[in-house]
Formats: sequence, structure tokens, C-alpha cells
Amino acid sequence: MDAIRIRDLVKKYGAVTAVQGLSLAVEPGTMFGFLGPNGSGKSTTIGCLTGLLDPTAGQIEILGQPFDAESAAIKRRMGVMPETLGLFDPLYAHEFLAFVARMYGLDEATTRRRVTELLDALELTDTSKTLRDYSTGMRKRVAFAAAVIHSPEVLFLDEPFESIDPAGVALMKQWLRRFTEQGRTVFMTSHVLETVERFCHQVAIITTPGKLVWQGDVTVLANDGAISYDGREFRALEPLFLHLTGQRYADLNWL
Amino acid sequence: MNFELIGHLVRLRYKLLWAKTRSRNGRIALFMVCYLMLVLLIALLASGGFGVALLAVRTGKAELVAQAVLSALYVEAVVAAVVLGFGVNAIFSDAQLRRYPLKARERRVARHFIGILDPFWFLILALELGLVVGLYVSSSASFWLGSIAVLLLLVSNYLLARVVALLLERLMQRKFGAAVLLGFFVCIGFLPAMLEPVLRGHRGAIAALLHVLSYTPPFAAAATMTRTDLAAFSGLLLQVWWLLGLAAAVVALERRPPPPAPRAAQTTAISWDTPYDRLAAFFGPRLGPLMAHWLRFYTRNNRCRTVYAIALPVAAMLAFMLGRHTGTKGHLGSPFSAALSAFAVLGCMGTVQFSVNQFGYLGGGFRRFLLLPVRPAAVLRAGSYAFMLMSSALILAGTLLFIVFAPFAFDARMLIMLVGAAVSSLFVFLGLGLWATLFGPRCCDYYSSFGNDLSAAGNTVVIGGIMVVVLGPQLLANTWPAALAPDRWWMAIPMVLLAAAFYSSSLKRAGAMLLARREKLLAIVEGRG
Repeated sequence: MDAIRIRDLVKKYGAVTAVQGLSLAVEPGTMFGFLGPNGSGKSTTIGCLTGLLDPTAGQIEILGQPFDAESAAIKRRMGVMPETLGLFDPLYAHEFLAFVARMYGLDEATTRRRVTELLDALELTDTSKTLRDYSTGMRKRVAFAAAVIHSPEVLFLDEPFESIDPAGVALMKQWLRRFTEQGRTVFMTSHVLETVERFCHQVAIITTPGKLVWQGDVTVLANDGAISYDGREFRALEPLFLHLTGQRYADLNWL
Repeated sequence: MNFELIGHLVRLRYKLLWAKTRSRNGRIALFMVCYLMLVLLIALLASGGFGVALLAVRTGKAELVAQAVLSALYVEAVVAAVVLGFGVNAIFSDAQLRRYPLKARERRVARHFIGILDPFWFLILALELGLVVGLYVSSSASFWLGSIAVLLLLVSNYLLARVVALLLERLMQRKFGAAVLLGFFVCIGFLPAMLEPVLRGHRGAIAALLHVLSYTPPFAAAATMTRTDLAAFSGLLLQVWWLLGLAAAVVALERRPPPPAPRAAQTTAISWDTPYDRLAAFFGPRLGPLMAHWLRFYTRNNRCRTVYAIALPVAAMLAFMLGRHTGTKGHLGSPFSAALSAFAVLGCMGTVQFSVNQFGYLGGGFRRFLLLPVRPAAVLRAGSYAFMLMSSALILAGTLLFIVFAPFAFDARMLIMLVGAAVSSLFVFLGLGLWATLFGPRCCDYYSSFGNDLSAAGNTVVIGGIMVVVLGPQLLANTWPAALAPDRWWMAIPMVLLAAAFYSSSLKRAGAMLLARREKLLAIVEGRG
């Protein structure tokens, strides 16, 4: 059973096609990197995978079961850190996390314990500020805490490490590694290819409009190996990404 | 002064205004604005301008009429600009303009240029120019002097609206700001009723009041518009003084930053068992957390708290004002119909501004609801129940106050009718609010203390609905007085049941539709649609 399986996913906004026949599968216990240039359909795909958007065509299976926007039982087993974070600004961090925990069905004692532990671990101890007054990095930590508070089996993270300080990133990476070691799955997007290269097991690269151009194991790169593609050897993810998505040059002589 | 860049910014403001027509809601809003402007313009030019001016000149009271018309317009423009947000909220903030190569002074000029060139102020100008033309045609008044007076009046009107808005904004940031504002509104509301007997008894008081008012911008403008002697020029001079004073006040207020919110300590004890959670616990483990969330979210909103706090005094004031002229104390009929209007207003006023745009203040938070393992219909339902809970408390408080301070004799049947009017109004407005939330959402600023940022659909429900509940019972009292007789108390029961049925079916249908509408709503609420 795959943790995530997408078959011929199509998403259209009127006449515009955002995702065109995307198919991919993610095994349980995988740290999966989902890459692509701006506007290639990454967020749309995650939107479909998390129930925010309705696919125009195609099937989605999460944890072996068909998934749609009303699949509450599957949503209970998923954690999501959306691109826009999805925070309620007038709330305090503990109020927000407690609300999310209760909505996932955690009992009161567990809710209080986990909220306190997460706030301590992520250094969100300034309880006099509402989420609106938090810095971008702190807001991101809160969104991450909300994604993991119910200990999900599949985790969707949209640009998880952006704006977070190195200590916070190290802590999150440590948690995520343990998470996958326990057989749970992380599906993340990032534009920082070095991070993906060192952190992810599997990577999928898509191009506009949401077409899969490559999927494979990248652990070899972390061990100084190389990926063979199109008769070429790629020793890092960046040249492979640029080769697949099309490298562009524009010489602006005034710049 | 970089007028070229300022000109580009003014054009950008209008481009942004036009860009709103790309969405369906925007098109409707633009159509309604243009339509209203046209209707109001024609109405004033036809009757307000020529008609009033002709009549005023014939009766020899041209200046008095001009004073009255200009003063009314002046006050209404300030109220509309500050409370409803017309014409002031559209301007860019200083922070937004900092990205352009403009100095501080240029940024201020640009912001106020953009503000005063808002279509709302053109409407006021059109109305005032109508009067100038009317006076010019029917008397020996100077068209040019009148036009200059009206232009100066418009600028001072805009500046006064800015001063008032800035002062209120600062007031709302203070701990007891909402309470002070509430007291202020109550005083203003009762002022005409309190002044009337004083003015009636003392003839000299009117003259003294008029003398004081002669130093105000509308009176000065009226003198310039109607007189041809030295008084016209002294009126002009007085307006210039007002302009300078108000401009200085705006600059002083804008330069002085608002006081920072008090922060006692970095760490405060986390409170788990709050009144919100205790109250919401009655709704069960599924709906409870959502209810607590909505109650917490909206009761923390400054605007919501203010509107909620003034709902009861406004309803009392309405009962007093409507009942004052139309009936005698202790007599059934008009005072009772006024009380019916007041109760109907009480049923909806506290929360209607938010129930018509339930998700509009969430911003990115709306996305969270769609990610949680809960049906979107439950989110909508919980929000609506939270508004119902808040409004029910107002109805209860209003009923208790009425029992204690009723201005006329009443019995249990009349009380049932009054409470029935409030509950029916609550159900109908909540039902309409669900549809407006779904089909007329708008991305609104949660932290804005004033202004009207609702969509055309939202405004139609709020403004149109309140007008209906205010005027409805009065109309009924005149056309079918028997309907309001205590013997017909039983009519309140089917009315409430009908309203409840409408609400219940709206809740069911809107809940089912929310899933299909969620992508559109998400785009609008997050400011992308």
C-alpha cells in the first residue's frame, strides 16, 4: 500500500490547465521532495491532495483509501502545513494549537500536554503576543506545530524551512527524520535544492503545467554518488533540475 | 514636489478600482455605485438644487436654506466617511507608499490627493454644486464665488473626516475606548431631543446657537454663496482659516504615532478553561471547539465589540426617537410600533455586519477550516450559532430593560410581540447572512476599527434589512393598525416559526453549497479573487 498515490490528476481553472495528467506514488516511510519551477502546479497538486481543491479528473488515494474533500477520517491521519500557514491572527499560539488539537479529536489532557510541549520545544514561550504579532519564522513554527500536533501518518509541508532560523530548522529536521523512521510519510515542497538533496529520499520534479518529468531516489547524491539521466551524470540536484525544467539566460546589459 | 509620480499614484488608485470590476461582485458594486451616484445627482440637481434654491430665494431665506443644506451634507459626509468608510479607507497607507521615491511630505500629499479624489467626494461635490447653480439661476448670487466656496468646503469636509477618523482610531486603541465611544454616541443621539425643549422655551437660545454656527465652514460657505457684500469674502476667509486649522490637525495627528499596546510581560500564564470554552462545551465535542473558536474570534474584534456594545443604546434611542413624535405616552399604537422597530433592530444589529461575511475576516485562516477533519457545513453552522448566541444575549438584556423602563403600559401579550419581532429579525438576518457569506464575500481587515468593507450583497442585507425593520412596523401602524393590537399577539408565533424555518432551510442548503463554493471563497477571502 502506498502512502500517497495519484493517478492521471488533472486540475483546470476555466480554460487554464494547472495540472495535466500527473501520476505518482509515494511509499510509506519516505521523505518525499516535490519540486518544480514557479507556477508549475506544486501548490495546486498539494491543494488537491489535502482537500482544498477539487480535481477536474483523476484519482487520489491517501493511505490506501480514495480521498476527496469530505474524507474526514483520512484527514484525521494527515497533517498539513500550507503555503499561507492558515493561522488565525487574533489568537494566541496556545489557543490556536489547542483548537487544532481538539478538532483532530485529541482529549483535553493530551491537548494541553502536547500544546505545552510543542510551545516549549519550538521556543514559542512568549505567550503575551497574538499570532499577528509573531515574526514570520515564529508563525511558521506555529503552523508546523499545528501540522504535527495530532501525530499524523502523512505530513504535507509547503516550504517548511523558509524563514526559520538554523536552530529551528535543525530541530524540525530531527523530528521529521524520526517521523519517517517510524514508517510515516513526509511530502514536502521546497525551492532550496541543497536541503532537498540532503534531506529527502525520493524526489519528483514537475514542469508547467503540472507534468511529471522525473521521479527517483536522491539518497545517492548525499553519499557523493551521481544520478544518470539523458546519458549525463548529475552529481547534484540543481543541474538535474535545471536540465529538466529548462535553464534560461537573459542578458540584461543595464543590470 | 513630485507631482508626476503623485499623478501616477492617483491613476493607480483608479486602475485598482476598475480592476475590481473583473470579479462579478465588483461589477455589481460598480454598477450600484454609478447608479446611486446618478440617481442622487439627478435628484439633487432637480429638486435640491433648482427647487430649493428657487423657493429659498422667493421666501427671502436663501442663506438660511443654504446653511441648512450645506450643514446637513457636511455632517452626513463626515459620518459616511468615518462610520461607513466611504472615501477615506481607499487611500494608500504611508507604509505602502514608502516603496516609491517620495519624501514624507510628498507621501502625505499623495495620500490625501488620492483620498479626496475618491468618487464619494465627487458625489458630495455634485450635490453642493447643484445648490450653487440653483442659487445662481434664481438670484443674484455669484457662480464663481459659490463654486470656490463649495470647493473649499469639500476640502475642509474631507480633512474633518480624516481628523475624526484618526481621533476615533486612537480612541479605539485605548482600553476603554469602546465604552467612551458608546457614551459619545448615546449623547449625540439624544442631543436633538434634549435641545428641542430648551430651544423652544428660549428664543434667544436659537439666535445664540446660530451665532455660534456662523463660524462653522458650512455657514461660512453659505454666506459666500448667497451674499454679494463683504460678508461673502469674510466667509471665504473663515473657510481658509478652517482649512489651515484642519490641515494642521491632520498633520499633527499623523505625525504622532498611536500609543503602543501595553505589554506587561513576555510570559503570562496560559489559561485553558476560558468562558468561551465553558459556554461552547454545551454544544458537544463536535461543534463545541468550533463555537468556542468563533466566539473568541469575533468577541476579540474591536469593530464587533463596538457595534455589539452600541446595539442596545441604539435600539433604545430608536424607540425613543420614533415614539416621541408619533404618539402620546401610555397610549397603545405608535410608541408600541416604535418599540417593535427597536426590538427588531436589537435582534440583528449586534452581529449582522459580521454574519453577512462570516469568513471575510479570517484571511489565510479560512484555509485551515478546509484542512481540518470537519465538514465545511459544520464550520458555517457553528459560526451562525455563535452569532445567534451573541444576539440572543442582547435580546434578553433588551427585554429585561424594557420590562423595567418601559415608556408605556404593557401586558404579557405585547411583550410576546416585541420578543417575537426581535427573534424573527434574528432568524431572518442570520439566514440572509448565510447566503451573503456564500455569494457576496469580501476580504476584510479584521483590525480596522471603522469603515464599511462589505460587498454589495452584504450592504444590501445590512442597510436594506435594517431600513425594512425600522420602517416596517411604522408602515404597518399607519396602514393596518389592527395588526399591532395586543389581541393579535398570536401573530408573533407564526412569524417566529416562519423565520426559523427560513433560517433552518438556509443553514441546510448553504451548508451543502459551501463545499462547492469553497475554491471561490478561498480565493476571495485570501485576497486573490
